[in-house]
Amino acid sequence: MSETIAGSRRGANVEFRQVGMALPRIDAPGKSHGKTRYAGDHVMPNMLHAKVLRSPLASARLRRIDVSKARELPGVACVLTREELSGRLAPTDIAGQTGRKRLATDQPILVNDRVRYQGEPMALVAAETVVIAERALELIEFDLEPLPGVYDPFDALKPGAPIVQGTDNVVAKYKVRKGDTEAGFAAADVIIENTYCTQFIEHAFLEPEVGLAWVDENEVINIRVSTQVIEHFRFIADAVGVPHNKVRILGSLVGGGFGGKEDVTVEIYLALLAKATNRPVRLCYTREDSFFGHGKRHPFTLTHRTGFTRQGKITAWKVDMTADAGGYVFLSPYVLLYATVAAPGPYRVDNLHVDARAVATNNMFTSAFRGFGAAQACIAHEQQMDEAAKTLGIDRLELRRRNFLRTGDLIATGVPIESAVWSDECMTRAWEALGERTPDDGPIKIGRGVAAYQQSYGRITWLHDTSEAWVGIEMDGTVVVRSGVTDIGAGQVSALAQIAAELLGVHLTDVAVYNSDSSTTPLAGTTTATRALYMTGNAVRLAAEAVRERLLRRAAQEFEVAHGKVDMADNRVFVADHPERSMALKDLVAVCASEGVHRSELVMFRAPFTGEIDPETGQGRVHPDYTYGAQAVEVAVDTGTGEVTVLKSVGAHDVGLAINPDAVAGQIEGGAAQGQGYALSEELRYEQGQLTSTSFSEYLIPTAMDVPEYKAIILESRSGVGPFGAKGIGEPALTPVAPAIANAVADAIGVRIFDLPITPEKVVNALQRLGN
Amino acid sequence: MYANFDLHLPKDLSAALAILGDAGDDAKVMPLAGGTNLIVDIRARSLTPAALVGIGDISHLRGIDVTNGQVVMGGKTTVSDILRSPELTDRASSLVDSARVFGGQMVRNTATVAGNICYASPAADLVPPLLVLDAEVTLERREGERTLPLSEFYLDYKRTARRPDELLTRITWPARSSDSVDLFYKLARRKGDAITIAGIAVALGVADGKCTRARIALGAVAPIVMRALEAERMLEGETLTPELIEAAAHQAAQAASPVDDLRASGKYRRHCVQVLTSRLLTQAWRRLS
Repeated sequence: MSETIAGSRRGANVEFRQVGMALPRIDAPGKSHGKTRYAGDHVMPNMLHAKVLRSPLASARLRRIDVSKARELPGVACVLTREELSGRLAPTDIAGQTGRKRLATDQPILVNDRVRYQGEPMALVAAETVVIAERALELIEFDLEPLPGVYDPFDALKPGAPIVQGTDNVVAKYKVRKGDTEAGFAAADVIIENTYCTQFIEHAFLEPEVGLAWVDENEVINIRVSTQVIEHFRFIADAVGVPHNKVRILGSLVGGGFGGKEDVTVEIYLALLAKATNRPVRLCYTREDSFFGHGKRHPFTLTHRTGFTRQGKITAWKVDMTADAGGYVFLSPYVLLYATVAAPGPYRVDNLHVDARAVATNNMFTSAFRGFGAAQACIAHEQQMDEAAKTLGIDRLELRRRNFLRTGDLIATGVPIESAVWSDECMTRAWEALGERTPDDGPIKIGRGVAAYQQSYGRITWLHDTSEAWVGIEMDGTVVVRSGVTDIGAGQVSALAQIAAELLGVHLTDVAVYNSDSSTTPLAGTTTATRALYMTGNAVRLAAEAVRERLLRRAAQEFEVAHGKVDMADNRVFVADHPERSMALKDLVAVCASEGVHRSELVMFRAPFTGEIDPETGQGRVHPDYTYGAQAVEVAVDTGTGEVTVLKSVGAHDVGLAINPDAVAGQIEGGAAQGQGYALSEELRYEQGQLTSTSFSEYLIPTAMDVPEYKAIILESRSGVGPFGAKGIGEPALTPVAPAIANAVADAIGVRIFDLPITPEKVVNALQRLGN
Repeated sequence: MYANFDLHLPKDLSAALAILGDAGDDAKVMPLAGGTNLIVDIRARSLTPAALVGIGDISHLRGIDVTNGQVVMGGKTTVSDILRSPELTDRASSLVDSARVFGGQMVRNTATVAGNICYASPAADLVPPLLVLDAEVTLERREGERTLPLSEFYLDYKRTARRPDELLTRITWPARSSDSVDLFYKLARRKGDAITIAGIAVALGVADGKCTRARIALGAVAPIVMRALEAERMLEGETLTPELIEAAAHQAAQAASPVDDLRASGKYRRHCVQVLTSRLLTQAWRRLS
């Protein structure tokens, strides 16, 4: 269920006919009829099946690995270990970045010497059947010498701690020095200090990692794979040792990504095995493989010290945060940067001091996850605001209102926010939408919470992000869009079609999108960082506008009116003031074709390019723009058993402009569910680096029985840097949910649980402490 | 997943019992009903059966009847069958409540009552209600059948009175009238498709303002699903007061021997036994008076 609140459409340069409508997405029929072929649905004749042998230990030295028995097993085609790879590395950095030298963060493709986390790959097998491949894994003999490990980032920082990465386990550091924090605290009437903790989180996408690779007649390694990033082809080529133009990635519709398919997963294994065997190879992770096969969300420990005047104005804010990076670096530095930028949330803080570090341990490595550090930051700053409101005796919403950023204010990194900041509007509307308060019922106590956020969309500006798209119009007036963008289920491709349909005067069903092929579709960059609509949407807009412009120019000639007097809609071209003077679009296209008018356009859209922020002050531009919004929730807490039930949950977000409101509502509702799991039930638990919550019977995502009917309120400021003023919503939809729930629980029971998830047992323990 | 085992698909009960009988005491020959535990265990390699005897084709083992004041349920009755049975809504509301929160929809559609009983998980959701209903189970083998109270069926953690060559074919209990109430509550880390932290069932009978029959069964807080016998005795023959209920609930919590695991600590489980037993007894007594 969702409600859309349209903002002002003044200033629109076109009258919207397709954009902004809740049209059925072009990917919907295939999915609902079961016709969509995901990466795992593809097979080839003579195909082999692959399996990965993983280390059972989290910190060890691989003394010996003997695969001779596995190789002798009938049906085994290939076994690869460190012997064959001779130290080859798997890149673990952001794909396709150009603005910065790559971090030296690579991981051996297969364990060479040291094992740094449980599940680190030690050998690859390809066999005639999955069963033979599994048996082959069991026949591999290895000796692992256990080494002292370190499993807590604070332990890893102590002198004498086992070193996992670098010289001191610190894999990234950021700081912000803005204003004069000491003076700010001196001016404070009240200082609030608290520490908040978050947990390891699993992406739990529906579709585990899967791919199929083959080497073609031109020695090109083709890999059809479920991924957010087809541009890993360069890294894969480097890892395998072939030129970049000899690896081709074919994406498919992805059964969920959430950041978990942002890093390379199965691609390098597939490429190596296909190359070694010269046969097609398929690798499909089981759910158990998937738990070990991709990086998790970083657990953070965040200590906040915030000064307020008695009137509730923030005078200074100091944040110290430590993230567990696990065994390898992967995207930890970037996640940490996002957390740093988002540390004070959507508030104006003139005196800000942030120290952030990501620390290697022998836990599972951590990397991208929807929210990308800003979600962890929000969990802390929003609980801190509630704690402050309680101490100050100021209404929680009012305290936020007194501190929200306004357009033109400087954010944490000292640059002004240029787009609309509708935090207050979003928060107020979300709160009002909760309606009448549910009454307490004996031991069942009702509580309400709200959380606001600032979440970037678009990549870090010093990565120099670009995106390409090609738009053309066919002889029959239908439209083709070509772009490498991957669609991870949020409607990325359909949004592009809707933009092209708008600008070329056709219906959504008249547009075909060819996407996600690294060798034939123009490279569009990653579907990560809430950038796909912003970047590729703009590229498609620009390309479609160029084609539109040529068509209209020719039509004006035909109608003998001035250029600018012609419009197009419903597959027709017409004089704007005299719509009866019209012609079919296909007839215009035929004229254009016969005269050699260029009916297509390839465009590169460029995000703002900057250098890096100042390393000493953290000041400078980091992102193209930010989305603002809020979540409001009502919960029931059983004070006897500690069970928490989410009764109402409303997300209100200024998305700039909703290309497709239903798709936006889908993001908001999905974010509400994923955030609810983050707050209440989800937790990957590692004991001495060993995963103990190894399946979905221990790792508890919310079920249909656990969720209320979510409400999505869409506000449209038309102020974003995306197409037609759109902002991003993919990650923002999740970010405020968990702290809103944490705040609601604290409101219900009068005591806060500072570490997520808020399990029933923690609630009971907190109430018992309160009672004593 | 790979596993090697023979799969038998007997067409009737005697054929099934013959296969199990031939295997004798060989516990490596296992009956396969819904498979919602067995297949998971085989996949995880915690069980390695030599043969499975699929009883899916033996249709007369499935169904619910009420005759001569007895509820008779075939062992192969599924959890979803319980939810669809109009006979049970009035006669065994605790069982229906437990079926409603049992696993997820797909598991409910295939998991069987006999499977839930015989797998002998301390967290088996159907067992606390069946215990407070005074259910009996009938075990059949080639040589004949025997019937024993469910309360005597469990010997220790995942150990039962069932011999490897026996099938649990029937569950029966006396159908009760309106002077009796039975209730169940499942506490878990989430509401759908979760493993139980504490599953509590109570049943109370009343006559002339006094409790004539009290049953309290506790799931997931001891090596087996257990009756809180001492607490039951405190209630029988008495008029239930808040103080007495609290004392009985306290007694039940003391009788439990919960362990710490990933889902919850033993301390928390014990606390919840007390809270939930007290709540359910209060609710049941209120309904009767």
